[in-house]
Amino acid sequence: MEARCSGIERNSEDGGSKALAPDEISHLALDIGGTLIKLVYFSRNDSWSVDDKGAKSPKGDSPLRVSCSNLDYPILYGRIHFAKFETIKVNECLDFIRSKKLLHGGCWHHEAPVSDKNVIKATGGGAYKFADLFKENLGLNLDKEDEMDCLVSGANFLLKAVHHEAFTYVDGQKEFVQIDHNDLYPYLLVNIGSGVSMLKVDGDGKFERVSGTNVGGGTFWGLGRLLTKCKSFDELLELSHQGNNRVIDMLVGDIYGGMDYSKFGLASTTIASSFGKAISENKELEDYRPEDVARSLLRMISNNIGQISYLNALRFGLKRIFFGGFFIRGHAYTMDTISVAVNFWSKGEAKAMFLRHEGFLGALGAFMSYEKNNYDGLMVHQLVEQVSTSASYSGDKIHSSLAGDLNDSESIGCSVYTT
Amino acid sequence: MACLKEDPIPGSNDIKEDSEETEPKDKVREEGGVREMVLPAGNSIHRSGSRPQLDLSGAAIQGNNFEERHPTILLPNQSDDISHLALDIGGSLIKLVYFSRHEDRSIDDKRKRSIKERLGVTNGNRRSYPILGGRLHFVKFETSKINECLDFINSKQLHRGGMDSRLWLSEAPPSDDVIIKATGGGAHKFADLFKERLGVSIDKEDEMDCLVAGANFLLKAIRHEAFTHMEGHKEFVQIDHNDLFPYLLVNIGSGVSMIKVDGDGKFQRVSGTNVGGGTYWGLGRLLTKCKSFDDLLELSQRGDNRTIDMLVGDIYGGMDYSKIGLSASTIASSFGKTISENKELEDYRPEDISLSLLRMISYNIGQISYLNALRFGLKRIFFGGFFIRGHAYTMDTISFAVQFWSNGDAQAMFLRHEGFLGALGAFMSYEKHGLDDLMVHQLVERFPMGAPYIGGRIHGPPLGDLNEKISWMEKFVQKGTEITAPVPMAPSGTTGLGGFEVPSSKGDTLRSDASALNIGVLHLVPTLEVFPLLADPKMYEPNTIDLADPSELEYWFTVLSEHLPDLVDKAVASEGGTDDAKRRGDAFARAFSAHLARLMEEPAAYGKLGLANLLELREECLREFHFVDAYRSIKQRENEASLAVLPDLLMEIDSMNEETRLLTLIEGVLAANIFDWGSRACVDLYHKGTIIEIYRMSRKKMQRPWRVDDFDIFEERMLGSEDKKPRPHKRALLFVDNSGADVILGMLPLARELLRRGTEVVLVANSLPALNDVTAMELPDIVAEAAKHCDILRRAAEAGGLLVDAMVNIQDGSKDSLSSVPLMVVENGCGSPCIDLRQVSSELAAAAKEADLIILEGMGRALHTNFNARFKCDALKLAMVKNQRLAEKLIKGNIYDCVCRYEPAP
Repeated sequence: MEARCSGIERNSEDGGSKALAPDEISHLALDIGGTLIKLVYFSRNDSWSVDDKGAKSPKGDSPLRVSCSNLDYPILYGRIHFAKFETIKVNECLDFIRSKKLLHGGCWHHEAPVSDKNVIKATGGGAYKFADLFKENLGLNLDKEDEMDCLVSGANFLLKAVHHEAFTYVDGQKEFVQIDHNDLYPYLLVNIGSGVSMLKVDGDGKFERVSGTNVGGGTFWGLGRLLTKCKSFDELLELSHQGNNRVIDMLVGDIYGGMDYSKFGLASTTIASSFGKAISENKELEDYRPEDVARSLLRMISNNIGQISYLNALRFGLKRIFFGGFFIRGHAYTMDTISVAVNFWSKGEAKAMFLRHEGFLGALGAFMSYEKNNYDGLMVHQLVEQVSTSASYSGDKIHSSLAGDLNDSESIGCSVYTT
Repeated sequence: MACLKEDPIPGSNDIKEDSEETEPKDKVREEGGVREMVLPAGNSIHRSGSRPQLDLSGAAIQGNNFEERHPTILLPNQSDDISHLALDIGGSLIKLVYFSRHEDRSIDDKRKRSIKERLGVTNGNRRSYPILGGRLHFVKFETSKINECLDFINSKQLHRGGMDSRLWLSEAPPSDDVIIKATGGGAHKFADLFKERLGVSIDKEDEMDCLVAGANFLLKAIRHEAFTHMEGHKEFVQIDHNDLFPYLLVNIGSGVSMIKVDGDGKFQRVSGTNVGGGTYWGLGRLLTKCKSFDDLLELSQRGDNRTIDMLVGDIYGGMDYSKIGLSASTIASSFGKTISENKELEDYRPEDISLSLLRMISYNIGQISYLNALRFGLKRIFFGGFFIRGHAYTMDTISFAVQFWSNGDAQAMFLRHEGFLGALGAFMSYEKHGLDDLMVHQLVERFPMGAPYIGGRIHGPPLGDLNEKISWMEKFVQKGTEITAPVPMAPSGTTGLGGFEVPSSKGDTLRSDASALNIGVLHLVPTLEVFPLLADPKMYEPNTIDLADPSELEYWFTVLSEHLPDLVDKAVASEGGTDDAKRRGDAFARAFSAHLARLMEEPAAYGKLGLANLLELREECLREFHFVDAYRSIKQRENEASLAVLPDLLMEIDSMNEETRLLTLIEGVLAANIFDWGSRACVDLYHKGTIIEIYRMSRKKMQRPWRVDDFDIFEERMLGSEDKKPRPHKRALLFVDNSGADVILGMLPLARELLRRGTEVVLVANSLPALNDVTAMELPDIVAEAAKHCDILRRAAEAGGLLVDAMVNIQDGSKDSLSSVPLMVVENGCGSPCIDLRQVSSELAAAAKEADLIILEGMGRALHTNFNARFKCDALKLAMVKNQRLAEKLIKGNIYDCVCRYEPAP
């Protein structure tokens, strides 16, 4: 089955696709956001460790296996798979679920007869909005999990269970941060979806939404679409990479005749006003390069999120700020701007941190909630391998059509206890 | 005061007769060349000169409405009055602040000098250099039209004045190295242009320094500078100067600066954001093709951001996300809906885009500001800068954000002069003008004729002389339909003028700057002081009736508009009824109607609005069109008639015993207060008999108990009980009201009684005419005339120095003068039917120092204002209520009920 290979081998329509029989796929959880649908599911695979190791760890991460012999539960080995769809193409997601026979994902024992109550965990606003659609199309009942609960449990899970989950990004350099589980809390979790939520996390299930902003990923994509005619979020990101925001933004130097406003520590290259140069009377939208526009937009939004996040971290005395959500998508420049903003406003005292699985916090959290509800007794015990170190940075694309591959999704090998 | 009547005088026939009568007299005056202005000498706050007034700069024309009269050269002959100019040259607007000096040209006559000496008024100030009286003007230009600005400066020769303290005080010849203070990015950019075109050097002041200095000045010097703005409702906040710092100043220009201000010149830029006004305008331009910032703002007014923004409800299928307190209508993601594949930019309404953009940026600024205020523990956040522009929706969104994120703990505040912080700060950076020491009570803000039309918009050069003003009003009416401002209604009534229609309430079609606040001309009057006898000046509020109540507002607006035709008739008649006077009357009616319409639409447009402000605005507006004293002839006639019967009245009073006399005198004051132009009932009375008859009849009706009746307590203080004779008051201040019977048959006899009891009496009267109120200029003549028939008055008036000029016949009185306590007259510093005791003349303040009794008389000064005022000394408030609504509201009584409120010193 293709899903297994996703994100590991970018062009792996064939590779390993037959290793898993469809019926080995189970446990599906959804995060239906305003822009994207994120999907997490588990596939059972007893032979993962031997077969996949070499191929799936391009960076040479050694697989980590945790001994669980002291527990009574049967251990299932397998992978947690990640996939995403655009929310406006929800039908593709439905087709995908149908085609992958994820329909019975709620039932761990897939051998068991299909019950009437096909229930899958879902979170995000769309869990409400599309509940009827799922029922009608797939006969699935969406069990709605609170979005924030899911985000937090997803992040807590990742930060505790995945070895190199968090990293900083400074001057184009990723640096993984090993976080002591005992010193994890409290932290600020900034989830940048369509909008931005800022959560103060004090422990498992202990958190508070302290702030947020309506200027988020949806703003970037929405404004970007209007301004550049880009066809996709990723295209827009790609564009921004080649742009130069100086054409659009009013810099401190533009106001002060090329000089710094040194009295207040503002360098001449500091952006004084995003899009401030676009007020020029002689130029219309068409006269600006879409690349520059995209760049300017990205900087504006990243910078803003970074600033508001820092101010909130400061307010609650939080040492760490983790940024997640689909806006970032491992995009280097985005992470760089956010890092710069946090660094700038904190005068170097705070650092932005990012999560490798940033886009799937909610979906993972929903997935985790099976355990919480003792639903068929699934318990993800431990991730034993981190297989796709490179994939999360490679600018993964939205899974856009059923026919397409899953090459940009990824999976995490794991062991699961069942009761 | 001449009260606002319940109903207008129908037909105004009686008035017409008056005008005909007085016409010849006034014509003679007119031919005398220079119009004689009934202006008090000395500390007049309104220096309406004999030539065309200077006070025109706030009045201006919007270029696009009057292309045919683009920048004109204005008032070259008056350039000598103007000094000190400062600029804030921003990316989109040039803000200009300049000071025009208004010298005290009046003659310090003998009588006045003697009063000043007696009261110990010194002209010298506490300071080494005097604060100059004058006016601060605020003007804006678009930066892209900088030539207009240069022309304006050149035409007014502003740059010749803005040099140094030497020129500040004297008119030295222009030197070669003229320096103008300027701030803003353009101060660098346009320095060469200024040098080239005007030959002036720009002295660049630091932007932040200027912002802070400007904000500090405004917050300290202007009483109602700061206001909150929630859901379209403005509320002015009075800030205690001692509790101002620290605060957060958020200046929203192209970018946003957040400054923590700890004191004068003490501040720190703590934060900022690059998402500011430039972002709104820049993105807005790209997305909507709007040609100007204002167009873009205006668009937003008609927008619906739900088509653009992704709301919580969109994500949650119409539901709130109540767990974390997000309602369905909360914006989850600005522009989050424009990701739709089927729609392109062209498919969205520019209105919606503009609104969405505005909300995005305003929320963001509000949020970041709040977080910074929180971080530094700052209670107050003031927002300023060109992005706001008095735009209601912008202020609402910022306020909403601050409230939302602070859970209601913090409030956003805005400044009326928000656009001028930098320019004012640059202005403050000139040394030795003394403005930084100005106190709130020394500033009076006036809203000249153009105010209702220009709103918060950019405007070009101000109007020149009276003639230009009038023709502007006329053109305005011709072009009325094209202009978005409230347009005066079609002519109506006898004069064909002054109709007024309540504008439709705010609706969707409200133009974007409808709620923009007007910035008037700041009159600097160093001689004004806080009335020293106020018990608690900080808590003092002059207005009794709160016009924040819309029905109250509407009522008074209706009263004022209905009274307008009659007032115009009188005003025109007072100027001889000439064609010129008619034209001016016409223009006045239009201007005042427009003021009313403007205020009806936006009551806070001119700052906190009280009835006193409204009434004063009318008087100011009259003066602006050179109606110096509309009731002059009426006042004269009534004075003559009353003086004729005074001797009889005094004889009658003298025949009474002490107790009866006191009651009769108080009754007399209340009864005489009926002589009030305006009340239809009063006017009817005038036809029924002589003044003395009416007075007697009115007095007969004065049956105690009055509606508010503290007479017994007052009597006990005055006369004591049984064997205990109280010490007489040392000095009484009598705030007089109307001319004619009111002052002559009411207040003068009471004054005489006080004098007889050994109490010094100071008659306090208006500095400038207001309706038929008696003025401080007129009083000495009246007293002199009365003194001819009364020794008590004569000796007291001589002792008070009143008869030095006025006395003609009595030469032998001087030897008696020492034996009498003095009777004096001081001006109150006002030109309004009401009085705000926070701003009175220095003479009055000096006179108050030894006073231990205050008598406030008449509706304007004792009821509309000061009814609830508390004083450090004994206070008696006397008035007849000549307005049914006020009677019901204030004393739960009826029209013609009387108020005798006595409050002993605490």
